[in-house]
Amino acid sequence: MISPAAPARSGRSPVPSAAGIGLRFRHHRAVLETRPKVAWFEVHTENYLGGGPTPHCLDAIRRDYPLSLHGTGLSLGGAEGLDLAHLARVKAAVGRFEPGLVSEHLSFSAASGVYLADLLPLPMTDEALEVVCRNVDRVQTILKRRLLIENPSTYLQFRHSTVPEWEFLAAVAARTGCGILCDVNNIYVSACNHGWDPSAYLGALPAPAVGEIHLAGHALREIGGRTLRIDDHGSRVAPEVWALYAEALSRFGEVPTLIEWDTDVPLLEVLIEEAERAQAMIDNDRAHSALAA
Amino acid sequence: MLIAPSLPELQRALGLAVARREDGAAIPHVLADGIDPAERLGVYRNTFESALVRALRLSYPAVLRLVGEEFFEAAARAFIDEDPPRSACLDDYGAGFADFLARFGPAAPLEYLPSVARLEWAVNRALHAPDAAPLDLARLAQADDPAQVRFSPHPSASLVRSAFPADSIWRAVLDEDDATLAAIDLSSGAAWLVVHRVDDSVEVERLDEDAWRFTEALFAGRPLHRALDEAPCADAQALLAVHLAAGRFADFSLDGIGGTQ
Repeated sequence: MISPAAPARSGRSPVPSAAGIGLRFRHHRAVLETRPKVAWFEVHTENYLGGGPTPHCLDAIRRDYPLSLHGTGLSLGGAEGLDLAHLARVKAAVGRFEPGLVSEHLSFSAASGVYLADLLPLPMTDEALEVVCRNVDRVQTILKRRLLIENPSTYLQFRHSTVPEWEFLAAVAARTGCGILCDVNNIYVSACNHGWDPSAYLGALPAPAVGEIHLAGHALREIGGRTLRIDDHGSRVAPEVWALYAEALSRFGEVPTLIEWDTDVPLLEVLIEEAERAQAMIDNDRAHSALAA
Repeated sequence: MLIAPSLPELQRALGLAVARREDGAAIPHVLADGIDPAERLGVYRNTFESALVRALRLSYPAVLRLVGEEFFEAAARAFIDEDPPRSACLDDYGAGFADFLARFGPAAPLEYLPSVARLEWAVNRALHAPDAAPLDLARLAQADDPAQVRFSPHPSASLVRSAFPADSIWRAVLDEDDATLAAIDLSSGAAWLVVHRVDDSVEVERLDEDAWRFTEALFAGRPLHRALDEAPCADAQALLAVHLAAGRFADFSLDGIGGTQ
C-alpha cells in the first residue's frame, strides 16, 4: 500500500481550521457581489466538471476564498473498479481550482455500469476493505493528493458485516494514509438508526487522521412505528449534533468544520449564522485547551 | 443458513433494488432490526429517483413548463427506468429524453414536445461544454489554400433541426410570455438552428436551410471546397464570416496535411 507523502492541505491556499460553508448555486451571486466574511467554501466536485458559467463563477470565488472539493461520484467502494474517465475529470478540476482539501465517501455509487445517484452502504468485510483501499490508493496516486474519506449516513446494515464501521474507517486510513472527514451529523444519524453509541464512534477514530468535520441538519421519518433518521441536509444542525460536535472538538482539536445545506437551501445569512455558531465553539474549545495546558 | 454474497454480487443486488425496483436479491442480506428491509432499501431508491428527476428538471425547464409538474415527473420516472445514468456527472444525464418523449404515448398529442426537448438538450450541452478559445483569425489568414481548410466547431456549438418552431416555443415558455406562445403557428415550417455559447450565455439563432446544411458539412469536418460542393450556399462567404466572428469554430487544419496547424 502506498502512503502518499503529500500533505492533506496543499493547493494554492490551505483550508483554515475554522468554520466554512457548503457553497450551492443559489448563493454564487450573493457571494460574488457581497464577499461575505466566510472562512472557506466547499463545493460538490461533480457540479464543476465542465466549462461555462458555473465553473467560471467558482474561479472568481476561488480567488478570494480557500476551497475544498467534495466528491460524491468516485464510488470508492465499488467492486467494479473506478470510472477512470470520471477520475480524469476530477483530476482536471483539482488542477483547475487547486483546492486546499479533496474529499470523498466511504460508500459505493455504481453497479452494473449504472450510476445510483446516492452513497450506498458497504458491507463491513475484509473483501470490501481490500476494494476500498485499492481504490483510495489509486485515486491518491493519480490525483497526487491525500484524500479525506467521509463516514456516510446509513439506513441499513448487512448481515454478513464483521467489524463496526469505525474500525473499518480507521483501517482504511491506516492502510492508505488517507485522512478522515468526520461527519458528526452522519455519526449521529447512523448511531440512532442502528443503536450505536455515537461517543464511542468518535472515540474510536484515530484523532491525527481527522482533517475535516461536517455538520448538517437531518430529518425524521416514521416507518411502521419506528423512526429512521434521514440525512437530508435540509434544516439547521440538531441540538444533539451540536453536543456531539463539542465532543469531537475536544477529541480532535481544531479542524476545518463545514456547514452543509442541500435541500430547501436557505438565505446565505442562515448558513453564516450556523457557521458562526460552529466558530464560537471552535474558539471556546481553543480557550479551554489553553487553560488546561 | 444464508451464504454471504461476494461484494460484486451484493452491489449488483443493491443496484437492482435502487435502479430497477427489484429488491428480491438484496433483501436477504439486509438486517431488519425493526424495519422492513424493503423500506430501508426504499430510502436509497427515493434518493436515486428524486436526484435524477431533479437533474432532468434542470436540463429541460421549458418541457417542464409545457407539460406541468405531474406529467413531467411521470415522464421522467419512465425515462429513468429505461435509460438510467452511466456517469456520476449528472449534467451529462438525459441526452435521450427527447427521443424518449417522441415514443412516450401520453406525450403523443404534443407533437412539438420532442423538438423543444432536443433544443433544450443542445442548450444544456452548450452551457456545460468545455471552455475553448475561438479560432485565431490571424492564423487562419495565413492558411496557404483556404479551400482546403477543415474547421473544428467550438465545443459548445451544435446544430438543431426541428419540424416545428421549437426556438419560438422555447423562448416564449421560458419568458412566461403566454400571449406570444398562443400566437405561435405550429405549421409555420421547420426551424434550422445553430446553438452556441458566447461568453457565459447560450445563443440560439436561426439559419436558412441552405446555410444550415453548409454549416453541418463544415461542423462534420469537411474541407471548405467539399462542403461547398455538398451543400451549395449562396452566401457561403458571408456566412463563414458570421460563424468566425461569433466564435463558432475553435480550430482548423489543412486537408491533406492533417493535424492542427
